[in-house]
Order: sequence, then C-alpha cells, then structure tokens
Amino acid sequence: MNLLAQAAPNYNFWAAEPGSARLWIMILVSLLVGAGFYAALFYAPSRIRKPIVWTFTFAGGLFYVLYWAWPQPVSYHPDDIPNGFVENVGFWLHDALPRVADISNILTAFLLGLGIYSLLRIHTGRIVKRQADRGFSVVFFIAMLAILVFGYWDWSLREADTKGLLQDSANWQLANFGQNLLFDGFLQQMDSAMFSMIAFFILSAAYRAFRIRSVESTVLMASALILMVSLLTLVVTNWDSGVANLAKNVFHDSKADPATFQAGYLNWMKLSSIANWLKAYMQVPALRAVDWGIGLGALAMGLRLWLGLEKGGVSV
Amino acid sequence: MQWYDTGVLGMLFVVLLVLFILYNIYRTEHKKKDLYIRRIPGLNAIDDAIGRSTEMGRPVLMVPGIGTLNAISVQALSIFAHITKAAAQFGTPIRICLADAAVYTVAQEIIRDVYQQQGLIDRYDTDSVRFLTDRQFAFAAGVSGLILREKVAAAFFLGEWYAESLIFAETANSIGAIQIAGSTEKSQTPFFIAACDYVLIGDEFYAASAYLTRQPILVGSLVGQDWAKIAMAACVLFGFLVNSAQRLPETDMHRVPLKDGAPEVWSQLSDDQKADLETAETWAKGEKANATEDTGLYRLFNPFYSKEDLTVKRAKKPSGAAGATE
Repeated sequence: MNLLAQAAPNYNFWAAEPGSARLWIMILVSLLVGAGFYAALFYAPSRIRKPIVWTFTFAGGLFYVLYWAWPQPVSYHPDDIPNGFVENVGFWLHDALPRVADISNILTAFLLGLGIYSLLRIHTGRIVKRQADRGFSVVFFIAMLAILVFGYWDWSLREADTKGLLQDSANWQLANFGQNLLFDGFLQQMDSAMFSMIAFFILSAAYRAFRIRSVESTVLMASALILMVSLLTLVVTNWDSGVANLAKNVFHDSKADPATFQAGYLNWMKLSSIANWLKAYMQVPALRAVDWGIGLGALAMGLRLWLGLEKGGVSV
Repeated sequence: MQWYDTGVLGMLFVVLLVLFILYNIYRTEHKKKDLYIRRIPGLNAIDDAIGRSTEMGRPVLMVPGIGTLNAISVQALSIFAHITKAAAQFGTPIRICLADAAVYTVAQEIIRDVYQQQGLIDRYDTDSVRFLTDRQFAFAAGVSGLILREKVAAAFFLGEWYAESLIFAETANSIGAIQIAGSTEKSQTPFFIAACDYVLIGDEFYAASAYLTRQPILVGSLVGQDWAKIAMAACVLFGFLVNSAQRLPETDMHRVPLKDGAPEVWSQLSDDQKADLETAETWAKGEKANATEDTGLYRLFNPFYSKEDLTVKRAKKPSGAAGATE
C-alpha cells in the first residue's frame, strides 16, 4: 500500500536525496519514459488511445472520490501506525494526496511549454510575414526576453544570498533593479490600470441596464437604487430617524425612539430594513437556487467525464 | 438520539443524486425518446450570431474564461465545438483565446477534430486557437486588443469568469459585437446581464451541450439533474418544517465547542489534534430555547464527536522512521 505514499525511510524508491546522482538519473529516466509514453499515445490509433486516456482519467477520479468518501483518520500524525484496514486506507489516501497533486503539477508545467510555443509561433509568423500590428509582436518578444533574463538573474542572486543582504535595497545590483522595475514598476502597474478600468465599464453598463424599458427593468432599477442609497450613512441615518419620529409623533408609538432608531411596528419602513429584506429574502434565495443548479451541473459533468461518457464536443 | 448523529447521511444524499443522474442517462439511452427541454434564448441566438459574422466577414470570438482545465472549461469547449462546427460550414473565421496552457492544448485538439469531422480540415487555421497569458488582467488586455483590432462580429464568453468579465463584455459592446455570455461565478452574472445581449444563467450553462446536440447521454444527465433538484427542494421543505418544530421546545442540554465544554480534554490535545478538532463539540447543561445547532436535523449533517471519539490510541513507528519527505 505504499505506492505513491510518503513511506519510511525519508528517501525511498520514489524520492532521492536532493542534488544526488540518483536524483538526476531518476529525472532522466522519468523524462525518457514520459516522452516514450507520449510518443506511443501520439501514434496509437484512436480506438486504443481512448481506453488508455479513460483508464487514467478513471484512476485519477477514483482516487479523489475515495479521498472524499473514505473515513479520514482522526488526529493523524505521520509517526502513527494505523489501526485496522479502514485507518490503513485512510492514512494511505492522506499520504498519497501530495504525490497525486505533484503529477498534476508536472503535467501542467509541460503544457505551459506548449502554450509558450503557441505564442512564439503566432508572433514570429506575424513578424516574418510583415503583417499589420507586427510592432506589438516585437514588443512582446522584447518584454518576454527582458522579464525572463532579469527574473532568472535576480532569482539566482537571491538564492545565493544566504545572509539576506538583498533584503535591503541599498545592496541591490543591476539584476535586482531591473527585476523590480519590470515586475513592480511595469507589470503590477499595468495590471492595476486594467483593473481600475472596470469602474468606468460598470458605469457605462449600469447606465444601459438600468433604463426604464419594462416592468422588470423598473423593478431592477428601484431595487438597485434602494441598495445603493442604503450604503450612504448620512441618508440612512436621516431616513431611519425620520421613521422613528413619524412613529412617535404621528402614531404615538411609545416604543419609538429617534435616538436609538427603534421605530416599533413601523420598523419595516426604515431604509436599512428594506435593504436588508431585499438582500435576505430576494437576493440570497435566488443566489442559492443558482448555486444549486451550478453545483448539480458540475456534479453531472464531472460524473460524465470520470466515467468516460462525455465526448467533449468532438462528436457534435 | 445518538444513533443518527453522523455525517454519512450527507454523503448518502450525494450518492442518491449521482444515482438519479446515472439512472436517467441509462433510461434515456435505452428509451430512444425525445425529451422536452425548455427554450433557452441565449442558445437559440448562437446561429444568428454566427450568421451575422458570416455576413460581415468578421471573426467569431470564443473565450472560456480564465479557469484551469476542469469541468467548466470542458463544458465551455463543448459548446465552442458546436459553434465551430457551424462556423466551419460557413467558412467563418474563429478566434479562441485561452488563459490556461492545459485548456489551450485540449481546445486545439477539439477544434481540429471538429474541422476534421466536417471534412473541412483545409479551413482550419492553427492560429485560431491562441494561448495569450495566464495573468488575469494581461489576458483581459490581450483579448480586448484582439476584439478591437479584428472587430469581431460575435463574441461568446462562456466559462469561469472573474473581475475581467466586464472588460471583455464592454469592449465587445463598444464595437457592436453580438454577445452571448454565461458564467458559473454567480458574482459575474449581473455584469454579463448588464453588458451582453444574451446570458446563460446558472445551470443553463451546463444544459447547453444537451440543448444543442440532443445527445441521449447529455439529455438523460439533464433530466437526472432535474430529479436531483426536486429532491433538494423536497429536503428544504422537509427541513423547514422539522427545524421549525424542533426549535420550539426548551432544553436543559445544549451543544458548545469542545474547548469551552471540556477544557480538561482540550488542554491535553496536541496542536495537530486541536487543529483537527477545532469544530468538535460537547454537551453542556443550561435551560434555554433550542438553538439551531441543538436540533437533530442539524446533527444529521454535522457529526458529533464524543470525548471518547477524540482519543485514538495508535502504536508509533520505530524511531527514525518518520515518513515525511517534506
């Protein structure tokens, strides 16, 4: 039961000591085996490829289903020896989870390489064919190269800095300044600039959506107005206090107290009460219903993928 | 009432929902009978959007959001495959922009397969499926630039969306593109409703492939989801009645967190055990109205740990054999 699990001793068949020759051999062998497997899958006929892919999908899914359904060991500790079969499997699932996640991470890393290849192919083609807007492709290559060089240079310097001297910017070198300028000076700022544009887009979208065109849009606009106004403290204070005064002076409600905003049976007229009612009795049930649908849809989709029933649009 | 005090019931309920879905898939596959699916305007508009792109000679843009390779992305790609099929027949150019390398690889395979199945592989442009970046707002900037440069006539934003949703929708709106959107993130749906022409709300997104293809497996799965919804609604109604009844009487015992109710046990636990048992509870005496957490209904889905359950005696591994390689 130790396959994939973190078994004793520390460095076993699955894990070699960092920096050791055995580790490098393991990496090389893994790469060769992986490449061989990939090539075999690539050249295999479709009728053979599909069952292989489904077997791996099913095994991966089964692991996570078991992890979710199997009783988890109470007060787990890596030094403990599990009691009985149920705990034994529970411990194994607990130990194997990081290894299964590692497999997923390694696959993602390889796929990122394919993504970068796509970018390089598209932008190189655009420059070579002298297409319109090829200037953007040139900027892309310069930016990518600069960030790659300065990022790696800065990282290697920081790795070598065992005394933590680079924590102080007075000790920075060209690589550190370059990395700081590119990441914090450019990338982060441009990210923030894009994010801030949402404020203007919300305004223009809201202007179109909240125009009174039908009964539904009128209800939408009225509810939105109440909720927006209910966030303005000055308006809420005056409104609620006005309701309390109304209750006390007009309806002679002895419980009404403008100072503490208790308006007795007229409580529902307070702006904060109306806004809370809208949120608690209109918004939350609707959102929960949407959540149900999404959750069930994801469950059905996951089930179809796991059992190989989903054809992923290929047979449409 | 300790006999039903276990978390297994929640799991059994999920298994019941799974059985509903599987049974209906089986039933629909063997019944060979068309089942009714209500009209979804957003999906009916797909052909109009593609037709408009074809007439204008401009590309159709498809973006499955910024999620990783999961059920949502696969569902989005499944819908995109259907759109691509129609676009391929009319010779309308397509653009699929992706923010995740794994989704990019799968999308490339699916789209090429669609062209191949249509016998139109010569119309397949390898640059039509593009990985841009996995950085949220850089992706938003990249796609917005593409929308403005290529003046797309139709845009499909279906998948896992976050704060970037409105940037896409408003940029496409600014050039007059017809937009069909749907997000599994309920917080983004209002933005799409405000900015797009058609929006798939909630599980309409998952119903899309069944609606478009009418494959028995997908339609059966959809019927199973409806059965599951009815079961959940029945549970809510039952829970509302039972919980209301159970909250009425007063009790002299109520549940409190273990650390307050049994401090002598809590103090003897290790930090790891405390982290594991942070939500564990015990009983305390005191006259008061039943709280929600005291009701039997609440305990159906929230396991109760007794003091004995908290102490699991196990032998230790031999010295030096601690397994962690971390």
